Formats: sequence, C-alpha cells, structure tokens
Amino acid sequence: MAPSADPETSPSISTSNTDLQPFFLLHKAASRKPSSKTRRRIDLSPKASDASAQEYNDNSRFETFKLLWSNTESIIKDVLKNLNTTVFDGIDKWVHASFDAIRACRTPDFTTAMSMYPIPNNVPIGAQIFTALLFTKNVESVDDISTFADLGAHMRSSGCLVANLTSIDFSAKNGVGGCLKTLLRQFLLAGIDAPEMSILASWYNEQENYDKPLIVIIDDVERCSSSVLNDFILMLSAGLRLQYSLTCKWKNLAIDREWVIKVPIILVLGVATSVDALRNILCSSACLYLSVCEFNLGTPAERMDAVIEAVLLRSCQSFNIGKHVATFLRNYFLRHDGTLTLFVKALKIVTAQQVFSEPLSFVLRKLVNEEGTEARLTFLFFLFVYHLIELLYTHYLIFQGLDGDNILLREPAMKRALELPSLQRFWETSGNSIDWVSALSELKRLHQLWSSLVMCLYEIGRYRKISLLDLYCEMLKLKQQNFGANDLNLVEKDYSTSVHNYQSPGCLLDKGYIVRAFQMLRDLSAMELCKILDRWEMLTRGIEKIHEKVKELQSQITLEEKRSRHDLRKESKRPTARTYKNDKTSNSTINEKVASFLQSMFREYIQTIESIPLHEIIFFDNVDNLNTAKYCLSGQLYFALIGDPRRRIQADLLESRKFLKCSCCSKNDGVLVPSMHDTSIMYTLVQEHGDLINVHEWFHSFMAVISNPPLQAKKKLRMSPSPKKRKDSKEARTKTDASIQAVTELQITGLLRMPTKRRPDYVQRVAFGL
Amino acid sequence: MESNELEEEEFGFSRNYFLAKELGGSSKKSARKASDINLVDEQELREAYAKLEFKHEKEINNLVNSYRKSYAEWVFMLRCGFGLLMYGFGSKKGLIEDFASTALTDYSVVVINGYLQSINLKQVTVALAELLMEQLKTQRKLENYLKNQQPFHTQSMDDLISFLDGPHWDDGESFVCVVVNNIDGPALRDSESQQYLARLAACSHTLMVASTDHVNAPLLWNKKMVHTEFNWYWYHVPTYAPYKVEGIFFPPILAHSGSAQTVKTASIVLQSLTPNAQNVFKVVADHQLANPDGEGMPLNNLYTVCRERFLVSSQITLNAHLTEFKDHELVKTRRNSDGEDCLYIPLSSDALQKLIHEISQ
Repeated sequence: MAPSADPETSPSISTSNTDLQPFFLLHKAASRKPSSKTRRRIDLSPKASDASAQEYNDNSRFETFKLLWSNTESIIKDVLKNLNTTVFDGIDKWVHASFDAIRACRTPDFTTAMSMYPIPNNVPIGAQIFTALLFTKNVESVDDISTFADLGAHMRSSGCLVANLTSIDFSAKNGVGGCLKTLLRQFLLAGIDAPEMSILASWYNEQENYDKPLIVIIDDVERCSSSVLNDFILMLSAGLRLQYSLTCKWKNLAIDREWVIKVPIILVLGVATSVDALRNILCSSACLYLSVCEFNLGTPAERMDAVIEAVLLRSCQSFNIGKHVATFLRNYFLRHDGTLTLFVKALKIVTAQQVFSEPLSFVLRKLVNEEGTEARLTFLFFLFVYHLIELLYTHYLIFQGLDGDNILLREPAMKRALELPSLQRFWETSGNSIDWVSALSELKRLHQLWSSLVMCLYEIGRYRKISLLDLYCEMLKLKQQNFGANDLNLVEKDYSTSVHNYQSPGCLLDKGYIVRAFQMLRDLSAMELCKILDRWEMLTRGIEKIHEKVKELQSQITLEEKRSRHDLRKESKRPTARTYKNDKTSNSTINEKVASFLQSMFREYIQTIESIPLHEIIFFDNVDNLNTAKYCLSGQLYFALIGDPRRRIQADLLESRKFLKCSCCSKNDGVLVPSMHDTSIMYTLVQEHGDLINVHEWFHSFMAVISNPPLQAKKKLRMSPSPKKRKDSKEARTKTDASIQAVTELQITGLLRMPTKRRPDYVQRVAFGL
Repeated sequence: MESNELEEEEFGFSRNYFLAKELGGSSKKSARKASDINLVDEQELREAYAKLEFKHEKEINNLVNSYRKSYAEWVFMLRCGFGLLMYGFGSKKGLIEDFASTALTDYSVVVINGYLQSINLKQVTVALAELLMEQLKTQRKLENYLKNQQPFHTQSMDDLISFLDGPHWDDGESFVCVVVNNIDGPALRDSESQQYLARLAACSHTLMVASTDHVNAPLLWNKKMVHTEFNWYWYHVPTYAPYKVEGIFFPPILAHSGSAQTVKTASIVLQSLTPNAQNVFKVVADHQLANPDGEGMPLNNLYTVCRERFLVSSQITLNAHLTEFKDHELVKTRRNSDGEDCLYIPLSSDALQKLIHEISQ
C-alpha cells in the first residue's frame, strides 16, 4: 500500500493509487518491542550494538524530558491554582449562599419537581438565575482555559455538580439543542440523542445528586452566539413558555417549567471585557433574569511573574533559560502575543530541544530527582566521578544510581562533558579528571544565590510595578565587570551610556530596571524598608551568609527606629522643621546602608551565567542559529514556535540555490539563469512587478529567461545551424508546460491571487518583501 | 538592539507593500492579453506534466535525504507531545510519508490527503478508533471496556474523540499517528474541519504530523488550537519537489478555459468526490445520453430524481454538489426554450460514456 521505504533510495516522489484516496492506512503498528519502561541492564561491552544503544539513548532522553517537564508543568499548575484560590473561594461561598437562597425560596421535593404545573407559590427571587461574572482581564481566552478547568475542579471538590461549556457549544449552527446536549453529556456522563431538560430534572432528583448546586461554567461568553445564549437563559428561566410554545423547534423540550427552582442551575460566565459585554450580547428580557455578582481574576502580567518566580527562580535545581531566549520571550510576550500559554509552550520546546541536543542533559534528571537532598546528591556524584575514571578505559560507562536505574554514557557524552568550557576550572591537575562534586555544588550554590538576589530586587521593584520578567532578563544580561565596580554608580553610568538608544516603550533596559530598583531602595520610607527586610529575611533562609546580614540589618533598623522615637519625644518641644530634617537624614542613612548591603551582595555573589560551571546543561540559550534567523535572536526557538511560513516560503523561492546547492546556478549569484528552479524563476520575476502582474508579459519574460542558453550552448548552436524544427516546437511546448506548472505551484503556496473575471489578464501579488 | 531590528522589519514590510502598490498604479498597465499566449489544452497539459523533466532532481533528492538525519529529533518531539508541522516550498508528501514509514513503525499510521476535494473526517476518525482498538486488544488492555461497546461507525464524533482521548489504559505508549498532507488543503479549510482536526490532535492516543504549503496557513487556527490542541512544532523543510498530485485540482490559468473537459481530468475530479456526488453526476449523464439532442436536464427534474433515489435530502445539498461540478467545469448551465435552467455536461456522448464507465469501476 505504501511506497516501501528503502533507506538507500530517496523518499519517493511517486504518484500511486493512494494519492487519490481521501485517506488510507500507511502501515499498522509493528509488533511492540519490550516496553521502554522496563529497565534493562544494557550490555556493557563496547560491542553492544549501536541500534540498542541508540534506542536506549532515545528512551533515556525521553525519560529525562518527561521528568523535567512534568516537574515544571506541575509547578506551573500549582502556581496558577494558588493565584486563583482566593477568587475561587469567593465564588464557592457565593455559590453556596445563592443555593441556600434558592432553596429557601422553595424547597423542591420529588413530586413537585417532576410535575408540570405547580408553579411555586412564593418566588421572591422570581425566575432569577444566579450568575457570577468572572472578569478575566485578558482578551486571549486561551490562557483561561486552565483557569476555568481549575474552577470546575475546585467547585466539584466542594460538592457541586459542574459542567464546563465553551463558546463552541453555543454556536448558531447547533443551536440551543447543541449546548443542551453538551450539558447533559457532562452532567450525566452519557451521550443523549434527544436532549431535554426533563432528563436533567429527573437525573437531578436522583438521590445522590439532589441537594447539590448545579453549576454551568461558560468560558468566554463574548464569543457565544447571542441568540443561542439568549435562548439558553430564557429556557432556564420562566417566561419562555409563551415565547416558545408558538415558534419553538424543540417543542418537546418541555420548557414551560420553573427550571431555576427545580433544577437550581447557577451560571459562572467568563467575561474578558466589562459588564457591558453581557448587555450587548443578551436581550433585555434575558438580562432581567440574571442576578449578577462580579469577581476578578489576576492580570496576565501578574501570572507571568508568578510563573517566572516559581519555575525559573524558585526551583533552581532544574532547567533554566539563558539571556537570549529570555529576552526573546519577553519581547514576544509584551509586543505580540501576551499569553502565558505561548510562554509555557516555549518553555516546553526549550526543554525538549535542550534535552535532545545536550548529551549531558540526563544530569538534569539527577538534579530534579535529588532536589533538596544535598547529602545524597554529593554521594551520587562521588559515584559518578568514580565511573568517569572507569570510562577512560571502556568508553562506555554505566552509572548505578541510588534508585537503581542505569545511565549509559556513551563516548560522545563523555567527550562533551570533558570539553565543557565552564568545567575547565574544575580540572584537577593531578587526577586528570574533573572535580564533579565541587562543580555541581558550586553550580547549585551560585544558582541559588543568584535567584534569591533577583527575588530580593523584585521585592523592591514591586513597589514601583517593575515586573519580574523585566528584572530577570536584565539580570541575565549583566556583565561581569559591572560587579567589580566599587560603586554601583559605575554600574549606573554604564547603563546610562549603553542604553540611551532604547527609547520605545516595551524595550528592555528602558532606564535599567536594576538601577531603578536601587534608586527606589534609597527613596523608600522606613515602613516599606522594614517590610522589605522582612521579606528578604524569608527569601534568604537557607543561605547562611546573606541571611545573617539581613538579620543584622533588621536589628539595626529596629534600633534606629527606637532611637528616632526616643529623639522624637525628646525633641517634641523644639521646632518641627528640624525634626523633620533629622528624621529624613536618619532614614536615608538606613536606606543607604541597605542599598550598600545589597550592592555588596551583588558584587560578591552574582556571577554571569557564563562563569557558572555546567551552565551549558542548565541554561538553554541557543545562539548557534542566530545567523539563520534574520530578525530575531534565538532563531531555532522562534521558528519552532511560530514558523513564519509567509517569510520563509518566499525566502525559499528567492534563494533556492542556497538550499539546492547545485553547481549550475550558484555560480551566477543574483542573476536569473535557465537552470534555476522554474517556480523560483517565476517568483523572482514577480518581484519586478507592482501589485498587478500582466500574465502575458510575465509568461514571456519567463520564456526569455529559460530559453536564454548558457554561453557554451550558444556557441554550439552557432556551429550547427540546422536545428530540427520539430524539436524546437517540442522544446517550446515543454517550456510552456514548465511555466504552467510553476504558476500552479505559486498558486498552491498562496503567493498569487489568480485572474478574476474583472481582470482576466492579471494576477495579483499577495506578499511584499521578505 | 533586536527590538529595533524588529521594528525596522515591520516598517520595511509595509513600505514594500506601498511601493508595490505605487508601482502598479503609476506604470502604464500593459494591455496585453493572457489569451494572446499560445495556449494548450488542459488535457495535453496534464499529460505533459507527467512527462515533464524536473530540474535539479539530484539536488532535490540530496536535500530530501538530508532531512533523514532529523528523523530522530522529529520522533522525539512527537513523543514529547508536540504535533509536527512541516512547511517550506516543495511537495512534502514524499518526505513525510517516508518519515512515517521508516521512523514511525511503532505506531499505526493513517494518511489523509488534504489536497483532495472530499474528505470525510468522521470516516477517518472511525478508522483511527478501530486501529487503536485493535492495538489495545492485542495488548489485552481493554477487557472491561469492550463488553458494552457499540460499533464505531454508529458512534458520534464526540464519542469517537473521547475514545481516542480515553483514559490511560496503559503506559501511555499506545498511539495512532495521523499524517495530514496539506492540512491547509481546499477541503479542510473550513473552521469545522480544523476544529475536528485540532480535537483529534489533542487526543491522548493520537500523534499528528502535517504539512502545509499556503503562506497564510496559520490564519486557519486560533491560539487555543495552535498552542494547546495541535501544539505545533514547526519545521522548515523546503524540498523543491514538484507538486504533482497537489496541483491536479487547481484550474491552470494558462490553459484554454473554453476547451472541452476531457475524460481523464473529469474522472480524476469525480473520483475524489463522494459517492453521492458521483451518483448525482451520473443522473445528469444518463439524462444527457438518453436525450443526446436535448438542451440538458432541467434543474427541478434533477432534484426530483435525486430525491427519489435518496442521493440528496435537500436543495442545499444538491446545490453544494452542483457548485463543485461547476467549479471544475464538469457541468454547465443554459436556458432552454421554456426559460428553465438546464444542466449539461460539455462532453461528447462517446466521451461521456467512457467517463461513466471509468468512474463506475
């Protein structure tokens, strides 16, 4: 069925009968190999077959990735969940209060719930549906998918019955029947062909469901079809009877009952903009039925900072990103995308790329596994060193970890380990091996210091709304010599000269966030300073040296405060202006002390990423492909993430010789030669036109290019003056065919708009410039 | 620095656009007609394509072969949960099918030819579900699940998708792989198809590898689809291979537009249509063969006959078929003496008989 793959021949470009089938089975799964999970002991001898070693490598990489990513993912999930806890708790309280209100209004029982008409006698809240509006403050609903899923889970855990719907369920095509179907599917956990509210009612009245609030969460209310949403709300509430009995397509829906009372549905609607959105979507009669309460989620920037703090700074034993990648992501977040989802996806890509391309990435696995257990880690790497030496003899190394799994280190990995520039310092002169233990503990220590100092700085920045993302990027960019300066003023100077050309908002280093943070520190009031020191005290726990000094500072401040209070009492009778001045000077001296402390910490402990041992493994900063990406750093990530087909397909066509590397065309750089790829010639010709291209001219210039024979051929032609006419016409035909094929290919890529009836002789350009 | 470059690029882009517009407006428009070119018949063209020698065959082969060393990375990214999206100029059909048949042997692979006009995603999903079921059966992981199981083709799309997305019966290594040639192809361009494809890609038991050729392909997806469902990992793999099959369904601009459709092209188009559409076409053809001198089949008659034979359920579906026919010039309309719209096939009786014979096979 499939073109059989022969490794020697090229991937077939053949047309077979499967080409015209809408879909076909290429092949079935081969009989499964023993699962990758079963940990086997690999044959240690150098004879071990390459294939099995390759497979083992693949699996080892995959396991590393799985571990790293599941770790990161769970951190992100927890952070986001924690951010929303207060809002979720608020909604939870409100739901239960509303449910009580509904039930207080009228206690439904089994008989009345199912009967047609006893409309409840006292309905003070009428047919009102309790509705929570959850403002997401984010136009991109993609970030909120997980928020709403979390909310659903939260409500379920507090004893509610929940259905999560999205705007797709409220499409005009499926109508209210479609959304009812999804609703029933989620509540009843079964597909139902003829959706009816009565099914929901009878299900709700089953013993195990009764007494629980029913919550319907709709993600992005603004994108719902307004008519469907109106119908849905009217259906839930009373009053629908009159409108629908005449026109309803779903006559058998049995809508003429007070569903709110019998089936106490509570709505939670995700709104991106403002409360007006609801009024715009719903008709006034539907709005009347809603009893609205408002809740607010955090902004995307807040979430971003929380994620960065948790993933990149707090969990410092695992994987991290370098300055180019960080800056690229920051710029893309602020200027283009604005979603956390893209950031998280980028992190995932980065993790995968790093694990795949870095032979030593399995070390990360160890770091994650052993997080927090220093003693074990050290022991583990003693073993590691031991086996490293062993490797010198065998070229293969098996690493018996404490958890019983084996890591096979092959020669390339070892070579790589020995060549890591950041490890050169740790070469032991005597033993001809690397002092892994100190290298790793150094890595860990420095990373921890680095992270906690960034966090300390961020604590100050919070007072003036400096985002962690900005600070983080700038810290990564700091150069070593800045720390050697005796005074931070030098650093400041350095910035002011180096950043003056960044004027536009959103640009990094607008005025140097670090410098600004230091300035702020000097201007803070005593109260704020106290608070910051308290936070620092918490942040630096576990880092003895800094922690001690922070405590010292704290005690100094309290002393100062006492003294100033004392002075204040003493001087209360003296003129006030002087008191104020005194107060200010004492305050600023404290601020200065704190600032100089932080400065000294920076000088002492912050090193550039490049000087951290093993940073190649820990920090992903793919700069190799800088040159391939024309306008952005960290090219590989950019293209994996966004692709940019518009630019690149054009580049493919205009620079075909770069890819094809043929001998015939690459000589004549920039000149059209007949041997070039037809479509490439055709598209290069397009560049000479405006937005409209006359097909006739275009065709003829193409013909001119391809019939312009190279010099040698021309000579030959002159020597043999009797070419056969028939052959000529055949050649011309082939050329026409080629041009037509080229146009078709341009059509497929969408770079041209085809002639229309209005302008039958012109094609239109769609893309302009690379 | 990089941000400045970025802005520069953006300005450059818009500047180019206006320059091009200006150029188009100011320079004297050429009055030369496309029809002045010595055109050929579409039929001849199609035949010529097959024989056309493509330049740089060797280099193209080398280029395509050079991607083989990336196969390991591609498989790794697939396993990491990304969907692979191949883009770049040139037909990637050969490349990704080669990738699937050499590197994805552990998984069952279904190929969807997105460049064709009629793709029924429900059928594809049923096939995928059956494959997965078979795979799980051999691993004896489904004993409880199988007891009260309906056949797949009677299940709704939602049920099928939830089966493919089903609970993890195993170590998470049971996958079926979907390869989509031209995910931006004409039949898959509507948002519903893309939604279904996205949901398929998001299932826990499916892997997706797709290729795209159109420069505006990303416009088909919203952020949710791109980042959470398809979870694309873009790979730039220009092949420069000729778009042989993919190009068949594009009406060529340089062919005689008025020239008679020939049996071969018509049958290729018809074969790519649904059986119902083919049968509708046959109804028109039968009528034309029965009344060789008539003006064609009146539209109302066609609708009645098709309804009687359960080929269409409403005028809308019939119109959809007819639009398809008209787009490919399989059928044309003209007024008869009574002022009715009549449909006829622009082929001679012999050719028509041959065509009917070909598609009936």
